[in-house]
Amino acid sequence: MTDTTTVTSKTINTVLGPVPADELGVVAVHEALLSVVPGAEHAYDITMDRAEIFEILAAKLTDFREAGGRTIVDSTGMFHGRDVNLYEALSRSTGVHIVASTGMGPEEMLGGYFLTPQTNPPTPWPAEKFADLFTKEVIEGMVVPRVERRGAAGIVATTATREGMTPTDESLFRGAARTALATGVPVSIRYGKDALHDLGVVLDEQLPADRVVVGGLDRRDAVAAGAPLEVARRGAFVALDHVGLDDDEDHVDDRERAALLLELVEAGHGHQILLSSSAIGVAKGHPDYELPFGYVASTFVPFAKSAGLTDEDARRILVDNPRNLLTLR
Amino acid sequence: MSRINTVLGPVPAEELGYVAVHEHIGYGMPGSELDTKWWKTPEQRYEETVPKLRQFHEYGGRTFVDATGICNGRDVDYYKSLSEKTGVHIVACTGFVGGDTALPHFSRASVDYLARHFVHEITVGIGSTGSKAGVIKVGVSRGGRMTELDKRIYRAAARAAVATGVPVLTHLAIDPEPAVNIFHEEGLSLDRVLFGHVDDGVNAEKTPDRWIIEQGGRLGFDTFGYETELPDPPFWARPRKDRMDHFLRFVKGGHSDRVLASADANCSPLGWPGVKGHTVNYIFEVLIPELRHNAVDEDTITRIFVDNPADFLSIRS
Repeated sequence: MTDTTTVTSKTINTVLGPVPADELGVVAVHEALLSVVPGAEHAYDITMDRAEIFEILAAKLTDFREAGGRTIVDSTGMFHGRDVNLYEALSRSTGVHIVASTGMGPEEMLGGYFLTPQTNPPTPWPAEKFADLFTKEVIEGMVVPRVERRGAAGIVATTATREGMTPTDESLFRGAARTALATGVPVSIRYGKDALHDLGVVLDEQLPADRVVVGGLDRRDAVAAGAPLEVARRGAFVALDHVGLDDDEDHVDDRERAALLLELVEAGHGHQILLSSSAIGVAKGHPDYELPFGYVASTFVPFAKSAGLTDEDARRILVDNPRNLLTLR
Repeated sequence: MSRINTVLGPVPAEELGYVAVHEHIGYGMPGSELDTKWWKTPEQRYEETVPKLRQFHEYGGRTFVDATGICNGRDVDYYKSLSEKTGVHIVACTGFVGGDTALPHFSRASVDYLARHFVHEITVGIGSTGSKAGVIKVGVSRGGRMTELDKRIYRAAARAAVATGVPVLTHLAIDPEPAVNIFHEEGLSLDRVLFGHVDDGVNAEKTPDRWIIEQGGRLGFDTFGYETELPDPPFWARPRKDRMDHFLRFVKGGHSDRVLASADANCSPLGWPGVKGHTVNYIFEVLIPELRHNAVDEDTITRIFVDNPADFLSIRS
């Protein structure tokens, strides 16, 4: 007798629907396609020319594909320019899988609806309401505001306030963790002041650590505190996600980044490392950040190899790790 | 030449007629557009809105000032279609309901940037609509104390008002001292400022309404109809009689040229349930009859709903 019920199809949510995990290929795991500071779409001095935005993004995605990239994760969440219709068209025309994200944060980036609702007193949203909002974006589809739901979010992304997690940030983190538990998508957190504390909040929701990626671990303060290694020890994915940023006082440079990468591999955490450049395809309301989506694969990884990264580990970091993170549980 | 910017272009003050000076086609807090619980089909939005505006027009209402700020669901192309089809002039605003409704792009901006944005919306147009804002909305954030951001917005509004001649309309009149100081510093006559919601249930007792008039400001009794007598009143509701007595103290106390009145109703709310049964037409169905019942004469009623708003809204060159 054949038991077919044990055959599970491993898939990832992309904007064009579920894709078999094995098809992901090289993944740019923590990027931004269209990045719009909330409110910038209303600004008198900012134009939102969809045709132009499409053309720029399509060219960048095509370059990425030509550099060997197959999948890009837009980790900007649901309120920072995400445009599901545009991403569908981009994916169709370039052949690059696009994973879009739900989630929001930090508190400062939220709309007043979540912070000062029309209730007395104006109590900010609790975790369970954020969980419901984000979960629906996976189960029922991502919102095109006041028009329709389309596609399923493939990851829930949130961020804490740099000076330290606020109570609303904590609600966002807990809501994101509950979304992951309810839907099987992973959680991306960008910590505020203290990576381990912020990771602890999502783990406190009983979310397995291997469903979490912690971004920003190539920040100098995190590296100095030994946070990358400690995050890895707790079982979460470690994202060194400012690859290519070489002249920033807050972040280590690529040389130090490569050393950190090798240190993590050496310590046995090669299966938990993710690399990204946090590249921005099109920025509105904040400065452009012109770095090719393929920078990690075509420039940084060869450099890391020259410093001692094996081909096997390189492949693991570019292909296997993101696939394992993004595969729905 | 007197002129007022409406969404369909400038009109002379003489055409304004009866004005509802603080209303909303549809209001939602920023971010409410992400929550499908409030979504309505376009059919439903028109169905909820058009009959109210048609009724308003039938009662003699001619001008509807929409006080829905940037980021609150302001939708000027929609207003244009409503105005064109119902014959009601709609005046759209630039500005913000309060600092807590300004999204990060604006909440981080300088006074200078905000002023330039407001001036652009008044003199060039709002987004790609070609429609120019006719009034500048500012307001006090939740909590009833002006925040640093509220003050930045007030100052930018004052500069834009001085530069363009359009007036300023406030959400809440509580904590007016910093506002008055800012307007003085920027050289804006308080005659160009309508301190709104002076009658709201939460703040009315604490709002120095007489002081505002003494400074030369105008008072907006513009939450008429949000009454504790309603089956499910909002938290800013007030007993009907208290509000009317409050209003009459000014109307009959020699200040009928300084007061404006409105209902602050939503034709079709965007991010909250709204208050069932409360519409802009409260002005004609309840408020004006009650004023007559309280022996307010026709000249005074005309002053409140026609002359004062025309004077207030006319662009000063």
